[in-house]
Amino acid sequence: MSKLIIRKVAVLGAGVMGAQIAAHCANADVAVLLFDLPAKEGKPNAIVDKALAGLRKLDPAPLASRDRAQYIEAANYGSDLEKLRDCDLIIEAIAEKMEWKLDLYAKVAPFIRADAIFASNTSGLSINALSEGMPAALRPRFCGIHFFNPPRYMALVELIRTATTDAAMLDELETWLTTRLGKSIVRAKDTPNFVANRIGVFSILAVMHHTAEMKLGFDEVDALTGPNIGRPKSATYRTADVVGLDTLVHVLGTMQATLPDDPWHAFFKTPAWLKALVDNGALGQKTRGGIYRKQGKQIMVLDLAQQDYRASGAEVAPEVAAILKNRNPAEKFAQLRASEHPQASFLWAIFRDVFHYCAYHLADIADNARDLDLAMRWGFGWALGPMETWQAAGWRAIADAVKADIDAGRAMIDAPLPAWVFEREGVHEAGGSFSAADNALKPRSSLPVYGRQLYPEQVLGEAPPERGETLWENAGVRLWNRGDIDARIGILSITSKMHAIGDEVLDGVLEAVARAERDLDGLVIWQAAPFAVGANLAQVTEAIRAGQFDLLERTVAKFQQASMALKHAQVPVVAAVQGMALGGGCEFAMHASHRVMALESYVGLVEAGVGLIPAGGGSKEFALQAHNLAQRAAGGDVFPYIQESFQTIAMAKVAKSALEAVQMGFGKASDDILFNAHELLYAALHRARAMAEAGYRPPLANNAVKVAGRNGIATCELMLMNMAQGGFISEYDYKVAKAGATALCGGEVETNARVSEAWILDVERALFVDLLKSEKTQQRIAHMLETGKPLRN
Amino acid sequence: MTKQIQDAYIVAATRTPVSKRNGMFRNVRPDDMLAHVLRAVVDKVPGLDATQIGDVIVGCAMPEAEQGMNVARIGLLLAGLPDNVPGITINRFCSSGVQAVADAANQIRLGQAEVMIAAGTESMSVMPQIMGNKVSLNPAIFEKQENFGIAFGMGLTAEKVAEQWKVSREDQDAFALHSNQRAVAAIASGQFRNEITPYMVRTHVPGEGGTVRVIESLCENDEGPRADASLESLARLRPVFAARGSVTAGNSSQMSDGAGAVLLMSEAAVKRYGVTPIARFVSYSVAGVPPQIMGIGPIEAIPRALKAGGLAQSQLDWIELNEAFAAQSLAVMRSLDLDPARVNPLGGAIALGHPLGATGAIRTATVMSAMQRDPKLKYGMVTMCIGTGMGAAGIFERV
Repeated sequence: MSKLIIRKVAVLGAGVMGAQIAAHCANADVAVLLFDLPAKEGKPNAIVDKALAGLRKLDPAPLASRDRAQYIEAANYGSDLEKLRDCDLIIEAIAEKMEWKLDLYAKVAPFIRADAIFASNTSGLSINALSEGMPAALRPRFCGIHFFNPPRYMALVELIRTATTDAAMLDELETWLTTRLGKSIVRAKDTPNFVANRIGVFSILAVMHHTAEMKLGFDEVDALTGPNIGRPKSATYRTADVVGLDTLVHVLGTMQATLPDDPWHAFFKTPAWLKALVDNGALGQKTRGGIYRKQGKQIMVLDLAQQDYRASGAEVAPEVAAILKNRNPAEKFAQLRASEHPQASFLWAIFRDVFHYCAYHLADIADNARDLDLAMRWGFGWALGPMETWQAAGWRAIADAVKADIDAGRAMIDAPLPAWVFEREGVHEAGGSFSAADNALKPRSSLPVYGRQLYPEQVLGEAPPERGETLWENAGVRLWNRGDIDARIGILSITSKMHAIGDEVLDGVLEAVARAERDLDGLVIWQAAPFAVGANLAQVTEAIRAGQFDLLERTVAKFQQASMALKHAQVPVVAAVQGMALGGGCEFAMHASHRVMALESYVGLVEAGVGLIPAGGGSKEFALQAHNLAQRAAGGDVFPYIQESFQTIAMAKVAKSALEAVQMGFGKASDDILFNAHELLYAALHRARAMAEAGYRPPLANNAVKVAGRNGIATCELMLMNMAQGGFISEYDYKVAKAGATALCGGEVETNARVSEAWILDVERALFVDLLKSEKTQQRIAHMLETGKPLRN
Repeated sequence: MTKQIQDAYIVAATRTPVSKRNGMFRNVRPDDMLAHVLRAVVDKVPGLDATQIGDVIVGCAMPEAEQGMNVARIGLLLAGLPDNVPGITINRFCSSGVQAVADAANQIRLGQAEVMIAAGTESMSVMPQIMGNKVSLNPAIFEKQENFGIAFGMGLTAEKVAEQWKVSREDQDAFALHSNQRAVAAIASGQFRNEITPYMVRTHVPGEGGTVRVIESLCENDEGPRADASLESLARLRPVFAARGSVTAGNSSQMSDGAGAVLLMSEAAVKRYGVTPIARFVSYSVAGVPPQIMGIGPIEAIPRALKAGGLAQSQLDWIELNEAFAAQSLAVMRSLDLDPARVNPLGGAIALGHPLGATGAIRTATVMSAMQRDPKLKYGMVTMCIGTGMGAAGIFERV
């Protein structure tokens, strides 16, 4: 681990990026000073205050919980520069104007400690040129630190060194960014737009070029270039609207200005239609109109042929869709290329030209092909990077096809592919990834921080990861260990689809706990995201169809047993939560002795959406929590704590971060929250070991839980009555929510009655099975299975 | 026995300015507000022997926590009234303040007291939730449909009234705008100055080096009215209580903090202390209505109060109709054919705020002030609807 200590960060520039970077530091318990110009009138920090207020409105939220905003202190260059002396890391994120940045550097340099790090979040300017603007003494601790928008959610940070950057400092910064902020680092060269934007913006240009060539509609192209080819749903043009068309034009302008020698330079220009949109103030989402715009409920798209907007909704042609479904990439690319369909020709063309561009520039812009691929995954949300896509489709075949197209004048330019392309069978191998600059394979970084990532994200073609030793498995789970880390801590991984919890998973959990108690010192529940999406509804539906309600009741009982087994196991059980932990998945997490959660965990008891209530012990846990919390409250009233969890359950609220999960009662303040999900297993194994060594003993079940009882249920009903009368919820919503209230309040017993945990489990189970028998719940389950969305009936 | 039937006279009345919930009085305790108005109303009658005050009756709709523990007694002791003056807290929700005036008058009218104070105090800022510190409903409410109305939120009842009495969203918003305009104009022309006793808020905040800094701020005017209200801004607000409803935050009363106090005397006491009474207490009536349409309460209560006072509705010159919601205010005005010119001439609760149990005392002070200003006013009334379905109306005659 790094010895770099960053107690306080300053972010210079409270624009969209600066404010969000500040927010993410605050998420990570790093104090932040957010600077901008002093306001011309009114409060001196008005500009920053406005930016901070804006943070609350952004979606997805930059702050992992609202209270984090308090860790960001507003400041201005007029009166607060002295405060920079307290800062260990200063991130400059002002507008992309070289002279503005240099002016600012001159102004702040006298206040920067010699041991502080100063880094620019520029997305395109030369880091070396910026470095010249710093006093020589500060240059060794100057570098580029390029975040992607939105910085909390986009994994990528490009680190760019200058000729004078201190190598050890950069290693320490990479370590800190990786583990503390949870970012995925690519070391980029100081070339215009660095790696991800260089390729990503070229890809947009290629798409725009071929859109025009093939005369396709923008919506048609978006249908083609989204999830169909492993890219985000917003695809190309919708993404441009979200980013802002003015920003896109600016970036294109930068490429035109800074890359005069790029052979593709002739294409680095703004198409006339795009310029016209920007000139007319149609900048995309921020002006509520760009390439797309909403008209009532209809989404309209600009149609260049008609010079007007028309209803959007173009689709992928069935014959092209069939090609895209082919799981064999070699066949898929061959078919795309062979097809006469303009959509297929278009897809082949955009891949071909990006392959061409990447191969041509690999030597100048990236250390190796892995960096390039990962940059595209992490910075642009591509499922696969371009080089690995190429390799998966058959390196030589694609290379020949690209060459043939270049030779035939079909590619955007006629520059030949570099010679190395034809000397290799791919760029990723077990020994590393190809560096065109060094003509050698480059292994992964040897920085110690990566030792914490037992399963880092890999590109296709890398050596398969260490699988560990399987101790036991069934159709739903695998119990295994990593002897190299700790052979006596078992790892329980759910292996079902989406990690849904069915009968075999329940059997697996019970068996794994028994084995852990017998043979091991601790148990970690870990699998790649999602943690678990809840009960296996397909199994439930089958049993309902067969009228096997006795079986269903027994399954719910087994679910409860599994939860209780986790909670009362004689060894510590650590749940390593990342991604969605919903319904039954949430209940497993709640019952573990401890949770190690990735910041990006989405946790909730969402049973109400399918007309059910938490009955794997989730309602019971909230009742127990209320009991425990009330013991410290004057009067000992449990209801205030029930009221909150009632709303959580009745409205199927989902925590949108691990921090929120703890606040909502799905986790505990003592849980571990990790910003880098790849470190989860490592941390969980060590946590389980530490708990075992610290003499872990499981809690005993509480036989005297004070419950809210009948008055509590009635008081929850007050809210339901008003919502139902106001037309906000359906009659059946009311019924489901009342069942939830009844379970949370420990059944229809007297208020403040003392009941056992087992009784509350009985109550939640009985209510659950009762709801299952209702037609409306069955309709909700069927609808969820069919559409993935809740039905309101 | 010295009991006899005699008249009760209001000889002084005052109030605090009304704060928005979590506004200028967010740190002011309701017992302090009460002490403030009790002191002020006694001070208005210089020669008064305070030991002669028979009782202090204080209305409060949520008499718990900061305003619990019989806030009447605590407030009067904090006000420095003699130990021998007793105090009682009463509750009829939103009419508690005018109920206190009626109860105080009745003590005099029965001959059981010569001098009485009626008051009301309420801080909605100190209440963690709108239904009080601890909400707990009887399960029996949900067992029978007839009882569901007990559980209806006030806003929901307003929606039901709007529906049943066909009060449109546009009319509600226009009414709300009018209320704001009247209130803003009244404040600007100083019409409330006579009835308000300004309140010095002292806020304790962290200062330098562990010392506590006290910030003083003199509050003289009601905080609620919005000069920038417009039909457009009101129309933009979403219905809060029903998905397809018409009742919004803009056409509902504001949650507020405030207190008011009224000093009453018998004719003998008036003579003894040589004071000029402002008004004679004429009558007071309450009536029950279905809880789910509680807003129409005044439709039942007003005719009863008029009958008890032997008056015709046309004789009322000034009506303080508590604007719980524009929907119910309009339903009441239309049903009884009240003259809009005489209803809330200085604006109502939509603009001025509605500190629940204090409102009745506060608006009594407004009527008294109006009567002192305008000798043409003969009869004034304070009326309101009441949660769980009641109405109240109290009538005063200028003397």
